[in-house]
Amino acid sequence: MSMIEFRKVQKYYGKFHALKDIDLEIDKGETVVLIGPSGSGKSTLARSVNGLETIQSGQLIVNGRDIADKKTDINRIRTDVGMVFQHFNLYANKDVLENIMIAPRIVLKMNEDENKKNAMALLDQVGLADKAHNMPSQISGGQAQRVAIARSLAMKPRCMLFDEPTSALDPEMIDDVLGVIKYVTSQSDMTSLIVTHEMGFAQEVANRVIFMDDGQILEDDKTDVFFKNPSNERARQFLSKIISH
Amino acid sequence: MQNWINAYSAMNLRFLFKGLLVTLEISIVSVILSMIFGSILGIVRYTKIPWLSEIVGFIIDIIRNLPLLLIIFFVYFGLPSLGFKPDTIVAAIFAMTVFESMMIAEIIRSGIGAVNRGQLEASRAVGMKYYQAMWHVILPQAYKNMIPALVSQLISLIKDTSLATIIVTPELMQHAQVIYGQNANYIVPMYLALAVLYFIVCYSLSIISRIIDRKMA
Repeated sequence: MSMIEFRKVQKYYGKFHALKDIDLEIDKGETVVLIGPSGSGKSTLARSVNGLETIQSGQLIVNGRDIADKKTDINRIRTDVGMVFQHFNLYANKDVLENIMIAPRIVLKMNEDENKKNAMALLDQVGLADKAHNMPSQISGGQAQRVAIARSLAMKPRCMLFDEPTSALDPEMIDDVLGVIKYVTSQSDMTSLIVTHEMGFAQEVANRVIFMDDGQILEDDKTDVFFKNPSNERARQFLSKIISH
Repeated sequence: MQNWINAYSAMNLRFLFKGLLVTLEISIVSVILSMIFGSILGIVRYTKIPWLSEIVGFIIDIIRNLPLLLIIFFVYFGLPSLGFKPDTIVAAIFAMTVFESMMIAEIIRSGIGAVNRGQLEASRAVGMKYYQAMWHVILPQAYKNMIPALVSQLISLIKDTSLATIIVTPELMQHAQVIYGQNANYIVPMYLALAVLYFIVCYSLSIISRIIDRKMA
């Protein structure tokens, strides 16, 4: 069963062709890592899965519903698809606990006691129960990103999108965040699409690796195949550049 | 010296004070109304609703670039020919509200625009509707950042109520004019009294805003 399916998807920013004829299927429970040079369209691809970017043609089916169809309730899809951003984007006017509780309250109409219990449990899972009443400006980037992950999980999504979740973090913060992501992706029914530059991490968590360049998918392989013996020349160059550092 | 003492007679001060109350009444009502209308217009202008936002933007641009005095004249002398005949206080409130709503709409539009785009994306990504994201996440941040700009706009609103003198609204400035109209020796004492009263009202507003700003920071 596929969770996410791109069929001949085209995306333009004005004249710039950002996604070229994308065909891609991601099964339920899979963890897929998306890599490629900057400007290759990988963030655009991830962001189109929950409709933050609109596609111009083709079909994009998420959890059985076509996002491009005007009749599709995009907010309904978004409750199933969690998203973690590069810059965390915690609500600056709400404390940590409220950041997690607000969407279940107003979107899912969750009962307040259950919501709070759930939120505290999630904070505990990401190791930040003691920060529940801090404001986002009072915690570190690594902590903010872990709260952001908890915030997404509070909606009980079936699928998670991670858009360069560690790119804006200080090096010593990265491991904690990756640890949480690893835990999330390890849950058997969770589908994850991760855009990242952390190759070691990719190797560890991904079932599949997709390499993009210039708006196209150039390689789509099982993780060990991709890292040992990529068939695409550009992918090989990209890997050699990244790994040599 | 005797002129000064006479100028500040109990009767004159009481009369000035009555004028001050009218000034405050016009100010408070106009502030409340123009905050409401200004917010609605500013949000509409920001949201880019096809046609509506452009029309609103056009109207804002026109009114913002007219002198307030002209709007006051238009409301008081022009509207009666259209069948609406406001008394002087209502006319002043009406004119101030029309003018200030446009100023506040522009402050609100740019205030919303200054909130990090990621805040809206994060709200929408969890399934909040646009208005929910605005209400719970974007507007609280926007208003907080806008407090200094809004307060300085409101201070000019209060000062601008003195323009309503021109249609003989019984506000502070007009009452002062009535007093020194009876005795030219009262002119300077009255101007001084006006300066003190306007200063006290406006300056206390900026102090309050500074306290709010510090509390919220």
